[in-house]
Amino acid sequence: MKKALLILALSFTVLLAAVGCNSDNTLKIWVGSESEAFYTEKMVEYVTEYNNTHDEEFPYEVVVSGVDTGTAASTFLDDTEAGADIFTVAHDNLGKLIAGSSSIAPITSAALLAQIDADNPDSFKDVIKGTVDGTTYTFGIPYIAQSLVLYYNTSYITAEQAETWEGILAAAKAANKQALSLTGTDGFNNSFLLLATDATDHSTSLELYTDGVQENCFATGDDTIAKLKWGQSFFLDANGAKKPSESGWEVEISDEKSISVIGGAWHFSAAQAALGENLGITTLPTFTLTEDDAYGTAVAGTVYKSGSFADTKMFVMKKNSERAEYLEDILLFLSSTAVQEESFEAVQNLPAYKNAATEFEAFQEDTLEADLASAQVEMFSWGIPQPFGFSSRFNTYFYSKGAPELILAILENAENAYSTDQDIYDQMVEIQSIWTTGLKLE
Amino acid sequence: MNNEDNADKKGFLSAFHKFFNKIKELFVAFAKRFKDASTGTKISHFVMGFGNIKHKQILKGIIFFIVQLGFISLMVFSPEINATPFGSKSLVNLITLGTEAGDISNPTDNSMLMLLFGIVTIGMILLFVMTYFASIRSSYKADLDIREGKLPTTFKQDLQALLDERFHIAMLTPALIGILVFTLLPTIFMISIAFTNFDSLHPAGQVLFDWVGFENFVNVFNGTGEIGHRFLPVLGWTILWAFLATFSNYIGGILLALLINRKGVKGKKVWRTIFIVTIALPQFITLLAMRNLMADYGPINTFMVNIGLIDEPINFLANAASPWVARITIVVINIWIGVPFTMLMTSGILMNVPRDLYEAAQIDGATKRQAFRYITIPYVVFVTTPYLITSFIGNITNFNIIFLLTGGAPNVPGYIAGETDLLITWLYKLTIDQNEYNLGAVVGILTFIITATATLLTYTRSKSFKEEDAFQ
Repeated sequence: MKKALLILALSFTVLLAAVGCNSDNTLKIWVGSESEAFYTEKMVEYVTEYNNTHDEEFPYEVVVSGVDTGTAASTFLDDTEAGADIFTVAHDNLGKLIAGSSSIAPITSAALLAQIDADNPDSFKDVIKGTVDGTTYTFGIPYIAQSLVLYYNTSYITAEQAETWEGILAAAKAANKQALSLTGTDGFNNSFLLLATDATDHSTSLELYTDGVQENCFATGDDTIAKLKWGQSFFLDANGAKKPSESGWEVEISDEKSISVIGGAWHFSAAQAALGENLGITTLPTFTLTEDDAYGTAVAGTVYKSGSFADTKMFVMKKNSERAEYLEDILLFLSSTAVQEESFEAVQNLPAYKNAATEFEAFQEDTLEADLASAQVEMFSWGIPQPFGFSSRFNTYFYSKGAPELILAILENAENAYSTDQDIYDQMVEIQSIWTTGLKLE
Repeated sequence: MNNEDNADKKGFLSAFHKFFNKIKELFVAFAKRFKDASTGTKISHFVMGFGNIKHKQILKGIIFFIVQLGFISLMVFSPEINATPFGSKSLVNLITLGTEAGDISNPTDNSMLMLLFGIVTIGMILLFVMTYFASIRSSYKADLDIREGKLPTTFKQDLQALLDERFHIAMLTPALIGILVFTLLPTIFMISIAFTNFDSLHPAGQVLFDWVGFENFVNVFNGTGEIGHRFLPVLGWTILWAFLATFSNYIGGILLALLINRKGVKGKKVWRTIFIVTIALPQFITLLAMRNLMADYGPINTFMVNIGLIDEPINFLANAASPWVARITIVVINIWIGVPFTMLMTSGILMNVPRDLYEAAQIDGATKRQAFRYITIPYVVFVTTPYLITSFIGNITNFNIIFLLTGGAPNVPGYIAGETDLLITWLYKLTIDQNEYNLGAVVGILTFIITATATLLTYTRSKSFKEEDAFQ
């Protein structure tokens, strides 16, 4: 036993020594896995330029690593000391990153703040800011944008039919197919209904955490109820929409069970694999309220354009990084319009730059990638960024507390429990309670 | 006060008395040894390894001294790891779990690391105390060797002993270290978290969290929040699932083994091989294949639609209209996966039932049915009882089948735990998806209590335990 204790004691001594000797001379950058090679190349360019224009060499070895951008924030928070100096996250992760005293640093460089202000749409400028201890700071630098679009099978749906859900439904009935597949049942996937806005003036009564205030949610407006009534008829139609099957949307589309799907840029490859030459891409369609759908002030004949969450991926910086003095200049370069355009050409990252559609040459080409980019850019005017960057819990309340299931229950009229306007209204009151408190009404 | 209370009080006092006597004996032995020891060993009580060095056990003495020096340095200087102090300061931090709330420019105390380092420091103190007594014993043993006219052992001899009469120590040490670092430490850490408010509102390093006593446990039973509403339904399904999964596999496996081992069945080896092949496939591949087979547009639904048995595909799993459809489907898939394993094990057992038992029964005039009822069944049950218990416990914590087949769905609106979630998959969602670490820890502790209680109760009442030497 004595020996065992001896070995144990020595092991801890060695461990402590090893930990004490830990130091490195690297500046770490995390980007999306698909962009690793591109940004590695860009950082080589940056360091070369730095060395040519400064008296001293760039003091750190730059290591660019590809990560899953969906989990990068959580990975960083698991061990912030080991986390990257610069990393990429979707803007809706901002809340968890700045909770409490924040684990990321605010941007202070006037040049970088000016570039952010000049290059980005206003909707992005709002969601990259956060409040810590009562003061609002800018934390993120947008460089990629993304929104939902419609992928459809051109052998069943014409471009004209794809402009309205009614046209798509008619095409589906003609072929006895399912009109629409969804890629999931979460809150992201029902946004095409909830976020739909009046096609003439973009108006909607729906509120989702307006101004970053948890209580500022409103889901019981006349137009919202009417849209859900329309959605219910769309879902209950034998050829309408259905929630995702256990086979998955890819099978539904490739086996031609269904003829369209709502998805983001990250679904593009799978949609292309499923439909091949028959793949068409366009903005999300419109729908028109019928007499049956009308509710209160939302009258029959009103046309709504399906909405989308229009999000951005942004770079953020680790708080108290030892390399802090170099980070903002790097970000000025990585988020520049020139690098964003190159990024689109190299790895099809949709730029966050607000004038990309008109100024970037790659957008003018006759390719599916250009169609996807154009459709996404157009959807930005019909969408809002996911308003969940403000708090660490908003995401949870919107996505994981059962609210999406309650909305789906309305659309499917589960157990005929949502057959009347009052039933739908009551359910939306319940959903509103979850959004604002995380709890169902007792 | 009745007699029972008096007996309880006496029993408690007796145990209390025994405990303090034991402590007293330790101190007396310590004092006695100190008095009897050489000067070098006496100094070892203050400077570890001094006695060994005095007895020319230089290397051993230096190692003990370095350990003492290292430990004192650690406690005095409290070096920082990830900006969190280790050593004596971590003991204070273990109580406060941090005081600096931080701001936009300054870091927040990392309560999670403070909790971890505090526990590790306590462990290191215990190890140091054990090493301290080991150093004194080592020096005192050298004293005794010298008194008996023997030479104290050299470092080389000590090392050789580790490969000879103390070989078990050399072999067990890595395992012991592994258990301490990878099992005991995380377990104590996890138990500690259950008594804090470490959740998604208190992310480590950004917001301080604190001790909350038994609040999280109280919430389980007072119907508050997710854990209060969903614990009992999830627990009920977990136990029902474990029961159904275990016994359906067990009975199915035995019946299949009996069928294959029947006299007159041709190609026994072929049948066994076919079932072994199903075991050879990794379980998660089988599960994913089964999920695809049973999907809405999978082969089973397509076949049933094509032959006109049903008009619309049936949702068997996550999208099932009723939770019981999903639950029954899971149990059936589990039979497909588990029965071959039980069949294989039971086949081996059946082939090893002592032949003389059957011969004796035959001489006594027993029928085949009686021999089966009174020899085969008891023998198989006797041998497989420990398997049955471990299988039951394994099914309580059977993460793969639920996670891969349904992910816990059908969902229950308003809650994280779905209709087919087991305690273990719920725990996963609470911690990995929702960062509700304190609730996850509570579920983990309660799962342990349930499994440990079930194991102890069933095993200690089984014949395998009571009649260990039967059938020998």
